[in-house]
Amino acid sequence: MTTHTEHQTQPGREPLDVQDPRLSQFDIVREGARRDDIEIVHYEPQVVPGSKAERRLTRTVALFFLLTGLAATAFLVVYIWWPWQWEAGRGGDKWFTPLLGVTLGISLLAVGFGILTWGKKLLPKEVSIQDRHEGAVSEDDRTITGQTMLYMADELGVKRRPLLGISLLAGLAPVGAVAAAPLVGGLIEQPHKNNQMFTTGFAPAEGGGKIRLVREDGRPVRPADVSAGGQITVFPGIDHGVSNLHADSPALLIHLRESDAQDARQANERIGHGDYMWGNYAAYSKICTHAGCPASLYEQQTNRLLCPCHQSQFLITDNAKPIFGPASRRLPQLPIEVDAEGYFVATSDYTETVGPDFWERP
Amino acid sequence: MTSDNDRRRGLLARLRERPAARSRGRRRLGAAVRLFAALMLAGGAYTVFAPGVQAQDNPPLTGAAAEGKALFDVSCVTCHGRNAQGVEGRGPSLIGVGAASVEFQVGTGRMPMARQEAQAMRKPELFTDEEVRQLGQYIQELGGGPVVPAGDNLHEDGNIAAGGELFRINCSQCHAFGGGGGALSSGKYAPSLAPATDRQIYAAMLSGPQNMPVFGDNQITPEQKADLIAYIQQTLKTDQDPGGFNLGRYGPSTEGLAIFLVGIVALVFASLWIAGKS
Amino acid sequence: MKRRKIDMAAVPGNAARGVDDRFQVATPLRRLLNKVFPDHWSFLLGEIALFSFVILLLTGVFLTFFYEPAMTEVVYNGSYAPLRGTPMSAAYASSLDISFDVRGGLIMRQMHHWSALLFMAAIVVHMLRVFFTGAFRKPRETNWIIGSLLFWVGFLAGFTGYSLPDDGLSGTGLRIASAIILSIPVIGSWVSAAIFGGEFPGTIIISRFFIAHVLLIPGLLVALISVHLGLVFKQKHTQWPGPGRTNENVVGERMFPRYALKQGGFFMVVFGVVALMSGLFQINPIWLFGPYEAWVVSAASQPDWYVMFLDGSTRLMPAWEINIPIGDGYVIPPLFWPTVVLPGILVALSTLYPFLEARHLKDRKSHNLLQRPRDVPARTAVGAMAVSFYVILTLSGANDVIADKFQISLNAMTWAGRVGLLVVPPLAYYVTYRICLGLQQHDREVLAHGVETGIIRRLPDGRFVEVHQPLSASNGHADGHGELEYVGWVVPKKMNRLGALGPAIRGFFYPIEKPAEAPVSPGHPPVEPRPEREEITSGESRR
Repeated sequence: MTTHTEHQTQPGREPLDVQDPRLSQFDIVREGARRDDIEIVHYEPQVVPGSKAERRLTRTVALFFLLTGLAATAFLVVYIWWPWQWEAGRGGDKWFTPLLGVTLGISLLAVGFGILTWGKKLLPKEVSIQDRHEGAVSEDDRTITGQTMLYMADELGVKRRPLLGISLLAGLAPVGAVAAAPLVGGLIEQPHKNNQMFTTGFAPAEGGGKIRLVREDGRPVRPADVSAGGQITVFPGIDHGVSNLHADSPALLIHLRESDAQDARQANERIGHGDYMWGNYAAYSKICTHAGCPASLYEQQTNRLLCPCHQSQFLITDNAKPIFGPASRRLPQLPIEVDAEGYFVATSDYTETVGPDFWERP
Repeated sequence: MTSDNDRRRGLLARLRERPAARSRGRRRLGAAVRLFAALMLAGGAYTVFAPGVQAQDNPPLTGAAAEGKALFDVSCVTCHGRNAQGVEGRGPSLIGVGAASVEFQVGTGRMPMARQEAQAMRKPELFTDEEVRQLGQYIQELGGGPVVPAGDNLHEDGNIAAGGELFRINCSQCHAFGGGGGALSSGKYAPSLAPATDRQIYAAMLSGPQNMPVFGDNQITPEQKADLIAYIQQTLKTDQDPGGFNLGRYGPSTEGLAIFLVGIVALVFASLWIAGKS
Repeated sequence: MKRRKIDMAAVPGNAARGVDDRFQVATPLRRLLNKVFPDHWSFLLGEIALFSFVILLLTGVFLTFFYEPAMTEVVYNGSYAPLRGTPMSAAYASSLDISFDVRGGLIMRQMHHWSALLFMAAIVVHMLRVFFTGAFRKPRETNWIIGSLLFWVGFLAGFTGYSLPDDGLSGTGLRIASAIILSIPVIGSWVSAAIFGGEFPGTIIISRFFIAHVLLIPGLLVALISVHLGLVFKQKHTQWPGPGRTNENVVGERMFPRYALKQGGFFMVVFGVVALMSGLFQINPIWLFGPYEAWVVSAASQPDWYVMFLDGSTRLMPAWEINIPIGDGYVIPPLFWPTVVLPGILVALSTLYPFLEARHLKDRKSHNLLQRPRDVPARTAVGAMAVSFYVILTLSGANDVIADKFQISLNAMTWAGRVGLLVVPPLAYYVTYRICLGLQQHDREVLAHGVETGIIRRLPDGRFVEVHQPLSASNGHADGHGELEYVGWVVPKKMNRLGALGPAIRGFFYPIEKPAEAPVSPGHPPVEPRPEREEITSGESRR
């Protein structure tokens, strides 16, 4: 804040002697304001002391404050005695939070409006004018400060002794790096550890054993489990296969209707995925290639798969090619077959990268 | 649930399992066998139904089904054809859709359709429950198919926690977390579950109406269906929201609307009053 | 029983003297008490944000007592039956406990969330006020930059907080955030691995978001808000032009007592509105979303409203993938442009706007007087353009809900958004510009010819003219017109707004007919009534 206690208000006005016992309180207040370059130009009580209006307003404010207390007490009563533990159905417990909110809201609003009425209606109206003192810093001050700083720089003599500056910088730079090193070093992770961005839980096990397709409860899936026109979410049948540890793995196993399945097979053959489907069953990654949401709104008549996050639409009968929306890459297909016990297995891992795109994806 | 259709599918599956061969050549052979089997089945199906086309009321229908046929011939035959064989470009064949499908489509007023649209909408029903049952019986006797078990309350012993898990993995992607429904591609939509009865939900899962995938009894067992229906009817529909008015359960979009329409508007009015002249 | 007599009346004085002896506060305190603040309703919008931030701190501290920032898997066994027995992360289980097993926890959670939405909404509304009135001009560019940074830091605070319950909806959001990070060319996968501690979702992200949400980001917010307020204090508030108001003064009320009292009351009102909303409207019912599982999603998955514009831009983006055929080939996914580049441009444009405008207008002066939006048509039109751009993106972020509830095709909504994003902003620019010019012209017209009275008079030659009440005394023109200069403030356009700065009828919600009681000013003589103007002329020269 600019310091301007010395030169006060308009020139020509003598500062009042505030110790003068004849001065009223308001005179002192106004004098104080003047010393801050404030002129109270208008000060007008809104109500005459002792008038009917004043009494009415006082009553209003007091009522507001009493309402506050009442509502706050109601809040406490509700908080302590109202049944609050969740129960099924439409029990009284469902009113607990609304009642707390309403009582608290009323009490706060009442105290707020009480204070506001007090300030707005009972206190005198005023108009004060304060000087801003824009650009009040004199040119002299600027010169003095500027020269002082330049002087300090000259005294340090970095210009004359450049080695000092250079060596200081050379010394401090590693110190800065030291500050950053633990953070960066601690956080940084090799994103391609175990080739994790390109493999999923369906990658064949060590011995080459094929991974089964299982449901969310771990049971393996048989062809008869999915009706024509149906779909089921399947997971790799491995440890923690049904968990976020294998967030990239889930697939949608779709049992296509006969004619659709033919289209899908032909489309598969066109891109050399001829053996990816098993019968009329096809499995596609559930993880959208756009932003990673589960693209799982399967329309069994149009064979479109819609992602609810950004509305990318994939055509299942055409290798899950994106046909609408922001996704630019088809959903990876999981090659499947049925093993000797009649359960679905993945012939191999997805042959394309699952999940959202990234720079080094191809 | 052991309708003709399912048994046939089971047979097909078993046929497929055997030639699940590893080599390409053998797989081709398997495909040929499958194709042959499919042709045989198709031929079989044709021989079963084809006589029906010629000899009208054969095989004989039970009483309810005969009533249903009478209704069908008045209201449905235009689009679905004589003996529900379907009419090209107007309506699909109803052979094998089962009573479940009829119960859902007619019982929710979606059928008869007023006009061809992206999707049939729920409307006030045209038929009484009894008539729906008769229509269903007719379709059932024509071609078999899934049937909803008897009774109005299908969620008696349902476990809501298990149902909730099933709901989130199978239903919420289209019908939304609160069962309010959601948009699908190009004007299609998943309807709200609010007006759906137990039987309608059950029928929808069995028959896969419109673009809804089929959830047969092998995928979601009747017990699991009871769990699911219990979650929908009790937790989503009966339970009151504990945090006040739920803003339609549309998620953050209506919450955002509320903060502007209620919060900001109220506070702007408050500041107008605070800074007002009088 | 005799007590030592204490002169109660002298206690405050003595205490004050004692304090001042030690800390010398009398002079700075007087300055503070005396500081003058201009009064206008639009100056209170920023306070809404400030007060909701205070509510956020209060409720947030409460929540930390019960929240467990861990992703270890537990089986829920709380009182909410529909999730009992479900495996979930400790974070989600503790969020459920806050909602169902901590008495009054749900109202606290809802207040925290509603005040977060209010915080961001108030920031945006406040920012619009500052923009459209030109309050960002020299010397206040720094504060404008801090303000726009506050939006983005608040955005981060909101997003990290939204993710903490680890429910199905927020997990989906987190998934998208990870995809956004992945989409950054060259370093994407490294940055993502660093933040998530490996592949998404990992087991550490909730703990990291927690410390960011409760310490780092609030610390930054407190620092920025302090500087923001400090600068408002130091540079003094802007004011509207008007009688007695110049670029060199501030006309208003001293901070104490009335202004401070109003602020205190307003804080309580903001707090009360938040409490009411939290009781009446349920927000973020995490118990319906279920725990986050990578394969579970709900229709209508949206982020909170202030993130929705990014969701919208992502939805509208065409599937333009850029392949770089070097080596194995590299790719820039379409996700990169609407979620990384667009926000970058928005940050740069919004922070640099004051400098761009000053450079364009070659304006190096300091401005303490606000401008009415109509007086700066170009800026207002640019603002309208930006607002329409933002609104279209935000609406597109909810386009599936709109499509579903208003039975519009989802694909049509996307196309409407794409076309709208290109067509509507320029249209908004043009329309706003014309409206501003029209309003300006009308102001000048009224100043030149007077207010329309609605009285039609028939002239002797048979013509009908409307009688106008001029605003200034006649200055000798033949037609009695006195030209008044426009001073950048409201021009009265109705007869009943003449002769008063405010509305002639007092009262906010209903008119108060009774005249005010006679003003008695201890400092000043009563204000003299304005001389009545009786002259009424026709506005026939009006074209």
